[in-house]
Amino acid sequence: MSSFLVISIIIIYLAVIFYVAYWAEKNSKSKWVNNPYVYTLSLAVYCTAWTYYGSVGLAATSGLKFLTIYLGPIIIIPSWIILMRKIIRISKGNKISSLADFISLRYGNDRFLGALVTLICVFAIVPYISLQLKAISETFNVITNHNIGGNSIIDDTTFYIAILLAIFAAFFGTQHTDATERHKGIITAVALESVIKLVFFLAIGIYVTFYLFNGPVDIYNKASLLPDFKQQQSINGLEGGFNWFFLSLLSMIAIMLLPRQFQVTVVENEREKYLKKVTWLFPLYLLLFNIFVIFIAWGGNIIFQNQGVDADLFTLMLPLKNNHEFLALLVFLGGFSAAISMVVVSTLTLSTMLSNNLIIPYGFLSKYSKGESEQNSGSIKKIRRVSIFSLIIVAYFFYKYFTLDRSLVSIGLISFVIIAQLAPSFFGGLFWRRGSSKGSKYGIFVGFFVAIYTLVIPFAIDSQLITSSFVNEGLFGVNLLKPYELFGIQILEPVPHAFFWSLFLNIITYTITSVNIVGKYRERNFAEMFVDSSKYAALHENAYVWKGEAYVKDLRKVLTRFLGEKRTERALNLFYMKYDIDKNSPYADARLVNFSEKLLTGSIGSASSRILIASVVKEEEISLTEVLSILEETQKAKESNKELHERDKQKNEFLDTVAHELKTPITSIRALSEILLDNDDVDNLTKKKFLTSILKESERVSRLINNILDLEKLATGKEKLELKQHSIKKTIQKSIDAVTQFAENHRIYINSEGVNDAEIMYDDDRIQQVIINLLSNAIKFSNKEKGKVSIFTYINQNKIEVSVEDNGKGIGKEDLIYIFNKFYQAKNQTILKPVGSGLGLAISKQIIESHNGIIWAENRNPQGARLTFALPFKTNTI
Amino acid sequence: MKKILIVDDEPNIVMSLEYLFKKENFEVFIARDGTEAIEIVENNIPDIILLDIMMPNVDGYQVLKHLKANNDLCEIKVIFLSAKNKISDIELGLQLGADKYISKPFSTKKLVKEVHKLLNKN
Amino acid sequence: MKKRHQQKLIVLSILLLCMFNIPILLIFNNSVTFMGFPLIYFYIFFVWIASIVISYIILKKYYE
Repeated sequence: MSSFLVISIIIIYLAVIFYVAYWAEKNSKSKWVNNPYVYTLSLAVYCTAWTYYGSVGLAATSGLKFLTIYLGPIIIIPSWIILMRKIIRISKGNKISSLADFISLRYGNDRFLGALVTLICVFAIVPYISLQLKAISETFNVITNHNIGGNSIIDDTTFYIAILLAIFAAFFGTQHTDATERHKGIITAVALESVIKLVFFLAIGIYVTFYLFNGPVDIYNKASLLPDFKQQQSINGLEGGFNWFFLSLLSMIAIMLLPRQFQVTVVENEREKYLKKVTWLFPLYLLLFNIFVIFIAWGGNIIFQNQGVDADLFTLMLPLKNNHEFLALLVFLGGFSAAISMVVVSTLTLSTMLSNNLIIPYGFLSKYSKGESEQNSGSIKKIRRVSIFSLIIVAYFFYKYFTLDRSLVSIGLISFVIIAQLAPSFFGGLFWRRGSSKGSKYGIFVGFFVAIYTLVIPFAIDSQLITSSFVNEGLFGVNLLKPYELFGIQILEPVPHAFFWSLFLNIITYTITSVNIVGKYRERNFAEMFVDSSKYAALHENAYVWKGEAYVKDLRKVLTRFLGEKRTERALNLFYMKYDIDKNSPYADARLVNFSEKLLTGSIGSASSRILIASVVKEEEISLTEVLSILEETQKAKESNKELHERDKQKNEFLDTVAHELKTPITSIRALSEILLDNDDVDNLTKKKFLTSILKESERVSRLINNILDLEKLATGKEKLELKQHSIKKTIQKSIDAVTQFAENHRIYINSEGVNDAEIMYDDDRIQQVIINLLSNAIKFSNKEKGKVSIFTYINQNKIEVSVEDNGKGIGKEDLIYIFNKFYQAKNQTILKPVGSGLGLAISKQIIESHNGIIWAENRNPQGARLTFALPFKTNTI
Repeated sequence: MKKILIVDDEPNIVMSLEYLFKKENFEVFIARDGTEAIEIVENNIPDIILLDIMMPNVDGYQVLKHLKANNDLCEIKVIFLSAKNKISDIELGLQLGADKYISKPFSTKKLVKEVHKLLNKN
Repeated sequence: MKKRHQQKLIVLSILLLCMFNIPILLIFNNSVTFMGFPLIYFYIFFVWIASIVISYIILKKYYE
C-alpha cells in the first residue's frame, strides 16, 4: 500500500476523532456524551497497542500467559462497587485531579510525596508512550512495505504523528485551569476509539479463525503439531502457578493505578452510578477482545512457522500475506486508535501531575501569590501544555534512540511493576489509618530501587547489548544478588520476580516505618478522613477541622489571584448561602478555610493550595476525632431537643383533656351548690337529691385526679411494680370478692368456673386493679335483664391469659382499639355515661404493658364483649 | 310561658338547670344528645336553647348548624354551654350563629340573667 | 444498594481470585480436551463469562 494513501487515511481519521472530541466538548451535557456506556468504553484505554499486537505475540510465544493481564481486572472489578466508589467519593469531595494528588493529600498534603509520585509515574509511563509510537511506526512500515522511519526526524512520519497527538492533547486537555473539570471531548473520542479497535480486532479474529482456517477446532488441530505446543497451553505446575498469580496481582494493581486508568475511572467520572454498568460491561468488553487472541496467535504460528516473523505483528501480517489489504488497513487503524488513546490520556494525566505536584509547588508558587488571576491561569495552562509537548518529545526520542528491540510486552510489564510501587501507599492509605507519609516515601524508594535493580538495569543491559556479567553473576559477583534470582529464588520469571521482591520490600518498609513513626497531626486527620470516608462524606467542609485565625479578606485575596474576582465572589456567595453565615463577619471559620483550599486544589494541586492557604491563616492543632465528637454531640442535642418538644406537646394535649374532664363534675357541683345557697325554699327531697349529687361528683373528681396521678406514675415508671410469684386464681378470687356488692346491685352473677391456677410473677395489687376494672366494666355494660359476666383463664407454657366476658351490647368495631385510650368516648355509647372516670382501661393497659403483657378487646357471639389480658411467664419489667 | 330546651349529657348538670329554670317559670324540655335535641326542637319550637357541645353522636355544633339551616328554626336563641373555652372554640361557636357562649363551670345567677336578656331583646 | 448485596460482589471477587489461580486452576491443567480443545481455556473463559452474568444479575436485582 502506498504510504501516501495510508498517511491520508491517518489524517482523515485524526480529523474525524478531532471533530468528535470537539462536538463532545460543545455538547458536554448531551446524553450521547454523558452516559455510563461512554464511561465504560473510556476505561478500555487499558487496551493499548500492546493488546492489539503484544497479546498475540505473547500468546504465540508463551501460550496462556497473556491472559493474566486481563484476569487481574476481571478479578478486582466486582469489588469496585465498594472500592472504587470510595475512591471516587474521596476524590470528588477533595477535588483531586490525579493519582499524585490523591496520595499526597492522604498523607497530609505532602508536597514531596506528590512530587515523588509524579516522578515515578513519568519514569514509568514515558517508555510506555514510546512503545505506542514504536507500534505505530512499525505497523506503518509493515503496511506500506516501506522503511519510512528513516534516519532523520524530518522524514519520520511518526514524529509528525507524535506532534499531532500533542496538539490534540494540549487543545482538549487544557481548556480549563481546574484540572478536575471533565475533559468530555477527549473521553468521548477515547470511547469511540475503544469501539473501533474492538470491532476491527473482532473482524480480524473472525477472519483468521473462519476464513483462513476452518474454525477454532481446525486451528487447534493444526497448531498442536507445532513444537512446544503442549507446554505452552498449560501452566507449569507450582512454578507456573506462582508466576501466574503474581502477574494477575500485577494487572489488578495496574487497572487501578496506571495514571491513565486513574484519570478515566476516577477523575473523569461523572456519576457514581456509572460503576454499575462498568461492573459487568467492562469485563464483557475485555472478554470480547480476548476471545480471538489465541486463534490469531496459533494461526500466525502455523502460517509463519519458521519464517522469523515477529509474533507481535501477526495480527497485521496475516491479512497482508493473503493480500487482503483492506482488512490490514482496518487492523492498522485499530492498532493506531489503541495507541493514540493511550498517548493522549497519559500525557494529559502526566502533565497535570507535573504542573500541580512538581512544577508549581516547587517553582512558581511565590510568583503566583503575587500575580493576577488572568495571568496566573494563563501561566498554569502554559505549563501544562509545555509539559504535554515535552513528554511526547521525550517519548519520541526514547523510542528513536533507545532501541527497543525487546517485544512490546516486556516494556509494558516493566511499566506496570514500577507503577505498582505506589500500591502499598495507595491501598494502605485507603484502609490503614496508621499508614504514614514517611512510610510511604521510604517504601516507594525501596520498592523503586529494587525494581530498578531486578528489572530495569538488566533489561537495559540486555537491550543495549552491553556485555556485562551483572546478570549472570550478580552485583560484584555475589550470586545471591543476581538481578533475576535474588537470594536464590529461581522459580519466578523476571517480571513476577521483580514484582514480588520490590513489592515485598516496599510493603515491609511501609508498614514498619508507619508503625514506628507517628505522623503529624494533619496527616492523621487526613488518614481518618480517607479511611472512614463514609462517616465524613456528609460533613464535607465540616469534616476536616482546624482551629485558628483567619480573615475573610485574606482568603478572598488568595482566591481572586487564581479564580478571578467573578468566580471568587460567586463561590463565596454560594458558600455563605449554604451555611447561612453572616457575610460581613471579618473572621473566616474552619469551613471557609477548607472550602477555599478545595477551590484552589483543582487549579494548582492540593499541596500548593495548602501552602498558599497556610500562608494566610494561623493554624492551631486540633484532632479530627475531637471535633467530630463535638459535632456528634450537637447533633444528639438537636435530636433530644426535638424529642422534648414532642413530649411537651403530648403533655399539653393531655393536660387539656384532663382539665376538660374535671370541668364537668365541677360544673355540676357549682350549679347545684349555688342553687341550694340562693334558694331557701328548696324542698327536702330535692335538697337531698342535690346534696347526694354534689357528693357523688366530688368523689368523681377525686377519683379522676387519683387515676390521672396513677397513670402518670405508671407511665413514667415512678411506681415500681412489686413483682412476686402469685397464684393467679387467688388474685382473681380477691378481685371478684371486691366487686361482689357492685355485681349484686346490678343483679349479676360472676361465673368463675373457667379459672385455672398458675404461679406467675406479677404485682398482685396492680393486677387486681386491672381485673376489678374489667369486671366493673363488664358488670356495667352487661345485658340489663339477663346480665351474665364470666371470667376464665387460658394457660400455656409461654403465658397466662385472663378474659372477662359480658353479654351486653358489645363494642363497636372501630372502637375496639381506642377504648384503651385515655378519656375515649365510644361513638355509639349509650346515653348514660359510665360512672367511671374514663381512665380505667387506660390505666389497666399501662399496668399490663408494664408487665410486658398485652391487653385487647373483642366482640363475642351472639353478643357481648370480651376483654383479655396476657402476661408472659418471663417478665423483664422496666 | 316561655319554653327552654336544655341539651346536655351530664345528668347532674341537667338536674340543676331544670330546677333553675322551672323556678323561673319556664317550660323545660330536656335532651341528652343532639339527635334528641333536634327532635324536640322540631316538635316544640322552644324560645331558647342551652346547648352543650361535647355530646355523643350528634354534637352541639351540628345541632346549631341544623337549626340555622332551617327557616322555621333559625330564629331560636341559642346559648352554647361548654367546657371548651379556647378562643378558637368561642369564635367558632359565635361564627356558627350562637347568640352567646358561656363556659363551664358557670354561675347560675349569670346564666339566668343572660337568658332573660336574650329573650327580652325582642 | 444495600451493604449486604454489595458484599455479594466482594465475595465474587474473592471467588474469582481463587478460581483463576492455583491450586484450583491446576485442576484443569491437564491434557484433557473438551470439544477438541484444551480444557483450561474453556474453564477460564467459562468462569469469565459466568462472572459477567452473575455481576449483571446481582446488580439488576438489587441496585435501586
